[in-house]
Amino acid sequence: MENQTTLIIKNIYQPKEAMVEDIIVESPTIKTFVLKVKDNFEFKTGQFVELTLPGVGEAPFTPSSDPNIKDKIEITIMNVGRITSLLHKLSKNDILGIRGPYGRGYPLDKFMGKDILIVGGGVGLAPLRSLLFALFSEIDKYHKVVLRYGARTPNDMIYKKSLLEWAKMKKVDVVTTVDVGDATWKGNVGLVTTILKDLPIDLKKAVAVVCGPPIMMKFVTLKLLDLGFLPKDIYLSMEKNMSCGLGKCGHCRIGKFYVCRDGPVFTYEELKDIPDIWD
Amino acid sequence: MEIYYINSFQLDIFLKSLKKDYKIFSPKAIRKDSSLPDYHYNYLNEDNPLIFNPYRCREPLKSFFSPAFEKLADYFNSEKINYTEEKIIVLGVKNCDLIAHKVQDFVFLAAQEIDPLYKLRRENIILISSDCTDFKEVCHCLAWEILPYPKEGFDLNLSPLNEGYLVEVGSVKGRELIQRASEYFVPAKEVQISSRQVKRKNLEERLRKHVLVQNLVSKDIVQKLVKEGYNLDTWQEFMLTCVECGGCNFICDTCHCFLLMDKKEESKNSRFRVWDSCQYANFARVAGGANPLKTRAKRLRNRFLKKFDFFVENLGMPACCGCGRCIEVCPGKIDIREVLKDLAKKLEKL
Repeated sequence: MENQTTLIIKNIYQPKEAMVEDIIVESPTIKTFVLKVKDNFEFKTGQFVELTLPGVGEAPFTPSSDPNIKDKIEITIMNVGRITSLLHKLSKNDILGIRGPYGRGYPLDKFMGKDILIVGGGVGLAPLRSLLFALFSEIDKYHKVVLRYGARTPNDMIYKKSLLEWAKMKKVDVVTTVDVGDATWKGNVGLVTTILKDLPIDLKKAVAVVCGPPIMMKFVTLKLLDLGFLPKDIYLSMEKNMSCGLGKCGHCRIGKFYVCRDGPVFTYEELKDIPDIWD
Repeated sequence: MEIYYINSFQLDIFLKSLKKDYKIFSPKAIRKDSSLPDYHYNYLNEDNPLIFNPYRCREPLKSFFSPAFEKLADYFNSEKINYTEEKIIVLGVKNCDLIAHKVQDFVFLAAQEIDPLYKLRRENIILISSDCTDFKEVCHCLAWEILPYPKEGFDLNLSPLNEGYLVEVGSVKGRELIQRASEYFVPAKEVQISSRQVKRKNLEERLRKHVLVQNLVSKDIVQKLVKEGYNLDTWQEFMLTCVECGGCNFICDTCHCFLLMDKKEESKNSRFRVWDSCQYANFARVAGGANPLKTRAKRLRNRFLKKFDFFVENLGMPACCGCGRCIEVCPGKIDIREVLKDLAKKLEKL
């Protein structure tokens, strides 16, 4: 018909196909999915993706794998909602969709030569693992990596083997804690804020990166400010209801920002004057 | 750009001749009682001949560019997709609609990724606007320094004059359209253009009086009001009658929020876009249950912060064109003018 035109243009809402190559059980509620994406998939550490459960829906996740690896992507997911509970039922060779990567990741260039304090809570260690891999791949560029990780119970801890390996690495310092111990646990007991004292860092050239549940990020941020960190040196990964990932659907606004477009990584300096950021 | 005169009879013939290439939408009056009629966009045909709407239609202009429900993708197939979209002409658009459309353009075109369907429609839809010759009680464009006649953003603009219209060309698309029947379009005379100016000023003055007595909040202080009024009880008071219908969002020509919804259809998967409302309880809820907009008061405040803080920061203009559609649609009688006035009143007292 004459009164119709067609246009061939990139469809920003179309997911790419990804196959579940492996599933690693990290804890009773957390699994890592190893995905092989049709055509390679590249991301910068800290950026997020939208995973599609075909015919069901999407949810946002930050990859937990090394951004230098292009042919596979790992995403660590906690079973907490409608999509994640269905994702947890997947098996090897199942097909998912993936869109992205979206947003602004960790500014590695600003971390050069610095002491990098990384504070994780629960499944919040997932995006931080990707950051750790990125840092480890160029460890000469950084002065020191200090990881402080807290989980609810020993059972809820993820990447247990890796934590032990990282602790043995040069220029890397790892301390973990659990809120509540059990018979087998011989480590620290207490909230993650309790292992933020006597840090082996030089505050004058340190940055802090925090990821975890909002309440944990709130108290860790307060503690870091207390220790003398400047708001501009505290990097937070914000969790909001990112749906389109493109700054259009409107769900993830905080203040003048969209988390999907301007984040998900923000400095506390950028967020500190926005009310209720921890809600 | 250039201005022409066309008489009503010729305009009618001209539009009829366009029907073979375009779907034409034109306002249709619907009168409920003795009050002023409402206008709805309808197909232009024998049952719905061309009429002039003195003020904006009931539906927001965005309905033509991002409909309430539409399919965005079938997956998995190639990243590129063929869209077929009809050529459309919309008549009876007003300046408030065109101003609001800047917000939609910002969202769907100017962000880092271009929405393909929106872009296609932006190219295919021809907007024929017209001057307002009257206003509704809820109209308050002037409070935001928006005039009741357009200066830009249209393809063609009609200003009623004597037995016809002055037609101002606003774009290449508009010029190409009238070149199809250039014999009907006579270059406007000076006297006709000054006569248009007089009519425009008269309406503007009438509307200014209507707006002035209401003592409305002005453009330059509105961002400050919503930010400083964050903790006021205004939100709590005004939300009391909110029934969370989302009408204010859906009828708003600047509101753009949507949900992505996936469905299995036989052997393929499809993704749809559905308008969403920030007044709905789960709008900002995340997996695990945290919900930063848990209460109706917070959601009402969200609507105002988005319009008067976020868009002022990001686009340099508030996302309200003063069309008053949200006031008319609200079953709880929540009036955007009154909410802002309440903030101003309470902040003054502090």
